Amino acid sequence: MDKILEIKDLHVHYYSNRRTVRAVNNLSLDMQRGRVLGLVGETGAGKTTLALSILNMISAPQGKIISGSIRFDNTDILGMSNQELRELRGKDIAMIFQDPMTALNPVLTIGEQIAETIFKHEKVSKAEAWSKAEEMLETVGIPGVRAREYPHQFSGGMKQRVVIALSLACNPRLLLADEPTTALDVTIQAQVLDLMRGLIKTNNTSVLFITHSLGLVVENCDEVATMYAGEVVEYGTVKQVFGNPLHPYTKGLLGSLPDYSEGSPRLRPIPGLMPDPTNLPKGCYFSPRCPNVMPKCHELHPENSSIEGHLVKCHQYQENLHVEQSI
Amino acid sequence: MSNNQSELPILQVRNLKKYFHVAKGTLHAVDDISFDIKKGGTLGMVGESGCGKSTTGRLLVRLHESDGGSINYNGIEITKASHKDMKMLRTKMQMIFQDPYSSINPHHTVSSIIGEPLKIYKKVRNMQEYEEKVRSLMETVGLADRLYDAYPHELDGGRRQRIGIARALALEPQFIVCDEPVSALDVSIQAQILNLLMDLQESLNLTYLFITHDLSVVKHISDDIVVMYLGQIVEKANTDELFKHPIHPYSKALESAIPIPRLNARKERIILKSEVVSPIDPKPGCRFAPRCNYAIASCGESDPILREVCPDRFVACHRAEMFV
Amino acid sequence: MSNQTFLRFFKRQSKNISQFWRQFSRNKLAVASLILVLIFALIAIFADVLYSYDFVTSNSLENALLKPGETGTVYFQEKDIEHTFILGSDNYGRDILGRLVHGARISMIIGFVTVAMAVVIGGILGAIAGYKGGLFDTIIMRLTDIILSIPTILMSIAIVAALGNSFFNLLIAISTSLIPGYIRIVRASIISIKDQEYVEAARVIGAGDFRIVLKHILPNITSPIIVQSTLNVGSSILSASWLSFLGLGILPPKPEWGNMLSEAREFIQYAPHLLFAPGIAILLTVLAYNIIGDGLRDALDPKLRR
Repeated sequence: MDKILEIKDLHVHYYSNRRTVRAVNNLSLDMQRGRVLGLVGETGAGKTTLALSILNMISAPQGKIISGSIRFDNTDILGMSNQELRELRGKDIAMIFQDPMTALNPVLTIGEQIAETIFKHEKVSKAEAWSKAEEMLETVGIPGVRAREYPHQFSGGMKQRVVIALSLACNPRLLLADEPTTALDVTIQAQVLDLMRGLIKTNNTSVLFITHSLGLVVENCDEVATMYAGEVVEYGTVKQVFGNPLHPYTKGLLGSLPDYSEGSPRLRPIPGLMPDPTNLPKGCYFSPRCPNVMPKCHELHPENSSIEGHLVKCHQYQENLHVEQSI
Repeated sequence: MSNNQSELPILQVRNLKKYFHVAKGTLHAVDDISFDIKKGGTLGMVGESGCGKSTTGRLLVRLHESDGGSINYNGIEITKASHKDMKMLRTKMQMIFQDPYSSINPHHTVSSIIGEPLKIYKKVRNMQEYEEKVRSLMETVGLADRLYDAYPHELDGGRRQRIGIARALALEPQFIVCDEPVSALDVSIQAQILNLLMDLQESLNLTYLFITHDLSVVKHISDDIVVMYLGQIVEKANTDELFKHPIHPYSKALESAIPIPRLNARKERIILKSEVVSPIDPKPGCRFAPRCNYAIASCGESDPILREVCPDRFVACHRAEMFV
Repeated sequence: MSNQTFLRFFKRQSKNISQFWRQFSRNKLAVASLILVLIFALIAIFADVLYSYDFVTSNSLENALLKPGETGTVYFQEKDIEHTFILGSDNYGRDILGRLVHGARISMIIGFVTVAMAVVIGGILGAIAGYKGGLFDTIIMRLTDIILSIPTILMSIAIVAALGNSFFNLLIAISTSLIPGYIRIVRASIISIKDQEYVEAARVIGAGDFRIVLKHILPNITSPIIVQSTLNVGSSILSASWLSFLGLGILPPKPEWGNMLSEAREFIQYAPHLLFAPGIAILLTVLAYNIIGDGLRDALDPKLRR
């Protein structure tokens, strides 16, 4: 199948107060074109860092991409010049940030903000850019005439729709959506995601959907990757991972949700906390909290095992299934 | 769900109102709501932002003064309670806040935050008793003993929320308003804290008002649920009943909007139209009508009244009979 | 048990202090300024030991306008002694360094007392304005606006002219100009903290207004007040200087850096050391306090921490 994104052995570190935060550790991930990949993890797993790395937007000197490769549609992102990156961002790869309140410039009208990105990336006149902006607003359910208004005149849900319109304005091949609806009410979230699904289908956009909500992944994604302490611990189609979760962390997450514990009065949380990224444990990062931990888990870091494309990084599966290096 | 819920209401709220005066007019935050909470039970209060649930919680512990209506706790009228009565009531009614980062003072240590209520009410006679009581509270909520002198910024959200819970328990209250206590926490920590809250309810015979926007959480922890929309109660029912069969169109939309982390779980979803109406100087008529897929002209003429459309099911909708 | 509690308290406070010092000491200039200020303070405290007060105020005209390093004979305590004028002598034959040393004492007193008065008065007014709001707030803020709208020089002159030319009135005049700053800082801090969730939480557990202000609000405002105060000590000393320069406040023969400057004016041409000595003293002191103030602000700012 055609791969739009290939990430191999990525390491990203942040530096704070003489300590090194290992945000992304030896991460490898592939995305198929035209599909929606859900990236699930809790706070501190490294999801946003990964998204920023794809756009090569990790700011020095606090952060640095130490090693690894990121190939977008067969182009090496990490080797690109600043000029090339600027042309890429917004046009070929777009990003939706989490908080709609701060993603829009309060002193420009929303029409100006959308038109600006169109004008910068496509060879059209300013007038044409403006009318295209109005069109984009219509596609997200906002009357085109409102392009003349300022962000503060819109509600949270509408602002997020504007941000979506902004990100899709130049018809990007890849959309990075970082918790696009977390700040919204649940009924508005349903409206906004419904809309997004339609637009993505029409334009055949590939989407990296970052979220901590497993429910949203089931409903909006084709594939899913679970992230823990800076690496992907499980990957597969939604059917594979939710139908047969393999990694103990994925199982733990699913098990701790209220919905899943139907019938039993107590929930089953994962004991303990995420490891300190400045001091990761030896061996498997999840070993201190794993219910199925074995002695080798504390010593040796697991490699990817695979059954028919369902990847999992866990020692339990390395004996039974054939061992495969990360793709 | 609690096991020792009695049939007697410990809290009775009638026609409660709270209005805020803003530049554009009067904001109807809480607009004539009435409900009961049974002793030992949990009432879930759900709704989205702006529905008035947080304001209601604060009215119950008198952080706001109401603009009308009554709140009766165990026979005492809270809205009219004197300063002295209020001081006594505070030992019975406590609150757990949503944001574990802003609800505890960053300059105070864990022990001084938890122990402050003890000092205010002089519940302990000397330093030794104080320390014993604080350490015991820490143990009850699962905070490691070595954190006695720690500062909040050294701890994660889950531990900070435990500090807030320990503080709420210090005066041995009977009733606790839980204002979105797990919304700001990671999924796996949410489960830990919810378990803690349920265990505490069991062992200390507590009554909870559990405010949240997360339906999956409220389903797990409440006996009865009140659904709020723009300051009004639109539906009131037993939890199981409500989830099995929501009647009010908003309850239905809310329930259908929850993302379910199971394959093949949802067949269809109700998508609402347009935007939420402004809570400032609302016009007469059903406030949900502009977004309702079933609204007819007459819905906009008068306010629907919360009425019992079938045994123990209260709905505020002109066309409720259609959905029963 | 009690002893253990105190022990823990001290251990915790010393951890805080050492953490603060680590931050502060990153700013080498601030540390140098601190050392300078401490030296000046020591000199001020031990002024009498270095130079007796009478020595510094008595005249001996035959020693007038000696250059720095020159010696002269001085009749002191019924004896004639040989004395080296390290920084020279002024037009009355008085040892300039000696006068500087005693002037330091006066400047220090002025600096600290005026700031202390302003913190207390400004703090209380700001607290009332911020916490109570409403009419109190309006009245106090308008008062602040009035004080701020009058140029400091004019106001000081007016106060001293009205109340008389005494040391105490000088302190009142200077501290009045500092009060609005503190009112604003305290009021702004209180307003920003008043609606924080932890203040609400304190109310729910039964805390009264007094406890809330004392335990929850004050700890948050100490750092902006400390920073503002160090900056104000410098500016107070400067204010005292130009007030005496203008002939108000401390008048000769009392040694005060400002009036020393004033007297030096006539002799700029042929005895510039009369001007440089007090001038540089004022410059270094005010500069040092300002740098310390900046360093404190950076060290106490939680955002820059760690």
